[in-house]
Amino acid sequence: MNAAFGNTGVLLGFAAAVLGVVVLAVGLAKGRPSLIRAGQIYAPVVLVGGLIATVAMEHALLTHDFSLAFVAENNSRETPLLYSIGGMWSALSGSILLWGLILGGYATAMVWRFRKRATEPLVAWATLVVYVVAAFFFGLMLHVTNPFLHVVGKIPVDGAGPNSLLQDNPLEVIHPPLLYLGFVGFTLPFAFAIGSLVTGRLDSAWQRETRRWTLFAWTFLTAGIVLGALWSYQVLGWGGFWAWDPVENASFLPWLVGTAYLHSVMVQERRGLLRIWNLALVISTFSLTILGTFLTRSGVIQSVHAFSNSTIGPLLLGFFGLVLVTGIGLIAWRGDNLRSAGGIDSPISREGAFLANNLLFVAFAFVVLLGTVFPLLYEALNGGRQITVGAPYFNRLVIPIALGLLFLMAVAPALPWRKTSIEVMRGRLAVPAVLAVLVVVGCVLGGVKGIEPLAAFGLGAFAAASAGRALALSVRLSWRGARLSGASPARSVLAGWRGFVGRANGGMVVHIGVVIIAVGLAAATAFGHRTEVALSPGQSTTFAGHRIEFVGTRTVKTPSRSAFQAVLKVDGGGTYLPAITQFGAGSQDVGTPAIDASWRDDVYLTIDATATSGSQLTFGVVVQPLVMWLWVGGALLVFGSVLSAVPGRRRRPTDPVSAVPDSVASALGPEVSAPEAVGAGADGDGEPGSLPDPDSEPVPVGN
Amino acid sequence: MTSSARRNRFPLWILLGVVLVAALAIGSGALNSTPMTPAQRAVAIETGIKCPSCEDLSVANSSAQTAVFVRNSVRQLIGEGKSDQQIQAYLVSRYGSAIVLVPPASGWSLLVWVLPLGGGAAAVIILAIVLVRKRRNASEDPVAAAREEASLDAGASSDQLDARRQFLEQSLADAFAEHRAGDLSDSDYQALRRRDTARLAALDLAMVKHSDVAVLVGGPETVGADDPETAGAGSNQSALAAPATSTPVPGARRSRRQRFLITGAIVSFGGALVLVVALFAASRLPGQTPTGNPTLSQQAQIQQSLAQAATLENQGQSGEAAQLYQKVLTQDPQNEVATAQLGWLEYNTGVQGKSASLIADARAKLDQAIKLNPTDYAARLYLGTVILDQDNNAAAAVAQYQAFLADNPPAALLQQAATILRQAYTQAGAPVPAAVPAA
Amino acid sequence: MGNHRARWIGITVLVIAAGLIAVLASRPSASVASVQSPLVGHTAPAITGTTFDGSDFTVPTAPGHFVVLNFFASWCAPCQQEGPSLVAFQFEHQQAGDASMISVVFGDTLSAARTYQSTLGVNWPTLTDGNGKLALAFGVSDRPTTFVIAPDGRVAAYIVGAVTAKDLDKVIAAAKATHA
Repeated sequence: MNAAFGNTGVLLGFAAAVLGVVVLAVGLAKGRPSLIRAGQIYAPVVLVGGLIATVAMEHALLTHDFSLAFVAENNSRETPLLYSIGGMWSALSGSILLWGLILGGYATAMVWRFRKRATEPLVAWATLVVYVVAAFFFGLMLHVTNPFLHVVGKIPVDGAGPNSLLQDNPLEVIHPPLLYLGFVGFTLPFAFAIGSLVTGRLDSAWQRETRRWTLFAWTFLTAGIVLGALWSYQVLGWGGFWAWDPVENASFLPWLVGTAYLHSVMVQERRGLLRIWNLALVISTFSLTILGTFLTRSGVIQSVHAFSNSTIGPLLLGFFGLVLVTGIGLIAWRGDNLRSAGGIDSPISREGAFLANNLLFVAFAFVVLLGTVFPLLYEALNGGRQITVGAPYFNRLVIPIALGLLFLMAVAPALPWRKTSIEVMRGRLAVPAVLAVLVVVGCVLGGVKGIEPLAAFGLGAFAAASAGRALALSVRLSWRGARLSGASPARSVLAGWRGFVGRANGGMVVHIGVVIIAVGLAAATAFGHRTEVALSPGQSTTFAGHRIEFVGTRTVKTPSRSAFQAVLKVDGGGTYLPAITQFGAGSQDVGTPAIDASWRDDVYLTIDATATSGSQLTFGVVVQPLVMWLWVGGALLVFGSVLSAVPGRRRRPTDPVSAVPDSVASALGPEVSAPEAVGAGADGDGEPGSLPDPDSEPVPVGN
Repeated sequence: MTSSARRNRFPLWILLGVVLVAALAIGSGALNSTPMTPAQRAVAIETGIKCPSCEDLSVANSSAQTAVFVRNSVRQLIGEGKSDQQIQAYLVSRYGSAIVLVPPASGWSLLVWVLPLGGGAAAVIILAIVLVRKRRNASEDPVAAAREEASLDAGASSDQLDARRQFLEQSLADAFAEHRAGDLSDSDYQALRRRDTARLAALDLAMVKHSDVAVLVGGPETVGADDPETAGAGSNQSALAAPATSTPVPGARRSRRQRFLITGAIVSFGGALVLVVALFAASRLPGQTPTGNPTLSQQAQIQQSLAQAATLENQGQSGEAAQLYQKVLTQDPQNEVATAQLGWLEYNTGVQGKSASLIADARAKLDQAIKLNPTDYAARLYLGTVILDQDNNAAAAVAQYQAFLADNPPAALLQQAATILRQAYTQAGAPVPAAVPAA
Repeated sequence: MGNHRARWIGITVLVIAAGLIAVLASRPSASVASVQSPLVGHTAPAITGTTFDGSDFTVPTAPGHFVVLNFFASWCAPCQQEGPSLVAFQFEHQQAGDASMISVVFGDTLSAARTYQSTLGVNWPTLTDGNGKLALAFGVSDRPTTFVIAPDGRVAAYIVGAVTAKDLDKVIAAAKATHA
């Protein structure tokens, strides 16, 4: 019954997507608004199809319906509730179903948001593109990755249960949906890019929509990546959070290119430049999500996270090719006519910094992509000889790029648009620069060795101070704006919080999060210590300033698992229980680390080996400073991007970068000190010039 | 700290640089480099060796049994006095080349190093060349450059010209705001403004010309083909436009041909200018384009000023716009565009400031503009509105509006004026003409 | 100004992408891809170690007959799968005298390995390899791993995963053919 419902849902979703494509295509070809409008109705149907299939799958998992092969392979009677729910995305076909469901949701949201502009060619084309993508993924579920296949042979009494590594931590249930919300979210910017290329309309409406949807998807992707790193830290037992694993890289690639786009779109909004470049970035971001899915889901690359091999590979690769040919082909066809009408005035300007930022991000993405696929290229070129491209390669090439990005993060917020003078920059960067040098000197005096960590700390301080300066100015401006418009002192101080809100200010919060992550990464990798120590119960050892006492062992059994735990005391305080866990009989043993986390450093404990005789155990001990700040920084990234989605103080699109100097503010009076009064549009959304624009659409968006 | 930094900047930045370099020199350990201990050497080797039974971890990071074996072996080989290369070669001879996490810089795997490094170097070089070339271009006379640019625009579609105009207007508005905020220094601002206004004015000329040709022959696709007067320009224009639709001519040949075409376009552009301006003085938007005038250089100047003023006006910078119109009038007292626009600006200021004398003077200016050119629709529209607002005389206003409608105003202006027109006709009890667009 | 930069860049990118797609499409799945050992065709490292009872054991560098060296653990499913097949192989070739088996414990406790082998009926020497010397010398990364060493001491084959007696017979026949 679950299978019947599930297959019905998948079929419904597929049929709706295909019908949507057909109806929209006919409507666009014949120019019939009624057909185009009708074509939008299929989006909610796709969502309903996805929902029916998902409910059927979840019902099957929760009721342990082992007649479904997927349930039999990824669930058992003992699997706890949480992991039963998450079982859907613990294997390939279920995660494609999740993909389809999320895409249906995005499609519906998009159609709803543009219901008043449904007949515009741009919107119609974008919807059509989303339908094509949905048809592809639902089509996969119809055949090659059908999650509702019946088991071959007799229905088993019990299932195999999820992979041991995937039922050890609730993060495993949370982080894939977040990643998918990010991945799938990039479909909409892509759809708008294709739509605008087809229609030849590259206006501010395109920018606005694409930027918003990208920010939305980016936020989820960021959260997914950070939680994925946290999961791998808490579960995989080697004390690291990032291994340049192909699956990690696959999620990181669209993030890098998406981040580049979020920056360069500001140049397009403000100065009308980099239009084709932005289109290319949006299309690349989406293509990379498909390529990443191919790399990790087709089995061409082995990885901790990769699902086993299946026939999905050629289809995904073909779809990737289709996306590329369509996107790049359209750019090649239209691009020369869409070129911006001008150029960058001076390289030492905000737009110059954004351009440099984009080049670095793209170089970053190129290195990651090359490193990920190079073993395959090498094998093809070299007659099957194998090669590994591992962390040292990535670190060597990526660290200089990352340091360059930190430097730009420090300089760019202080740079004005168009052109600047040395005097202006000297004045603005003096405090951050002094701070940076003081931090470097302090670190050197404190005994920090190594050029890379020193550069990371110094540039981190530089960038954080620069972001802090921008935030402080913005808060002051909000506060004074409130003061000048007659608010009471208390209310004005409250109004200051608005200085944190809006795209630019939220972006600065994100920058501070990035700095915190960079500093944490540099410290943890450069000053981490690891050792293996054999202890008998009652013995203790001191390592990297921490005293570790082995109290004893115990075995804990629950229906789903049996864990052999060692009881350890760290620094005489808390008790930590690294374990070796077996999930159900016959499955492989998995080490479960225990972590004594503090703001200063983490003590990471694992049982590395049990003794062949006696009760001696070998423990792995990893002490890494500032690891916790990675998660704090990650939270700040998400918080900052939420802040930047909140409508900021209304300002004219031509408002300058820096806060208005006092003298000018008082001279110009209320117009400048209370920018709300003259806003032509919300934060950066306005049209150039202040003439009422007869072309400006009534966007049903409201920021 | 900031104030002292401002007072004597130079020492501060030199001091910072010196301190930074010194700190980094000490911190990097370059000054007192001690040879690595065997344990450090072992860790360095181990981070570059893949754990045989893991997917991506190094033996340094893994606690798998195979990793322990490899670690023990590395330490033992170091103890035996083997070099790093020998140890790595030994492991490769047993496990194959995939055991090394860093691809060797030889053979095919050299690519994995060359592509990013070479690509990065190439990008930097290309960027440097572009910047240098741009700087060289910028040092030329901006007005001449703008004119040349505009001659290139002659081959562009009207959409592209519009986009260009929008870009330049935004650019000017941007620069103004940046300058006001102190982001842009005075000299930079002047230079940018001079350049962009010149470009804008040249572009406006190109647009006038464009619309002229388009009206003559019924569309930009067949530019100039049947028109004897602009045939020279037309043929060049279509030749210039050709690369946009057909396959390009390779490199050097194309650039030579392009230069030839550009020169041709400039010459024909100049030749067509007088005719164009004279013929289509009536088809301009208010305050945007000039009327005919015998001397080209002064004319160009006036056009520049008018375009610039229109931009400023559009941005709400009425004061500066008014000054520019005034300047135009000193050069050409008979310029009805400047007269009308100045009158309109004065009127608006007068209404805001409740100044009867200003309003009276504005009316005089508008009357004057109409006298100078009875078919100036903008002046008619302004005067009609003044009459409607000040005298509350709908009938008289409608008379002006009638003239306005008769003078073929552009659609955009009609659209903007539609509401007030409808109001006036309704007040006067007259039927709203069909030319007035629906709300 | 009126050139076709976007078009040419687009075409270049497409060509590169087409190359990438072609390479990716031609790649076999990683689980199918053959694993290689640099030892194949070269003289095998010395096979020496201690057996369960603690006595030393050494295979001559040129054993004069085929040696099948099998790395295993008692808990690993493919090892359990190939176990009976190996016993059958040993039985046949012991008669013929052209090949012999040697096992090496790889990632297992000695007691478990010993129990496993005795239930299986193993009658050939098993090396404990407590310090991983043999595993390292042969570059073993996974279990089961089987090496076939030719009579002249060269490594004739390297197989990761469960083998059958038939597989081994084929390898031996092929090696004999090339040497003859």
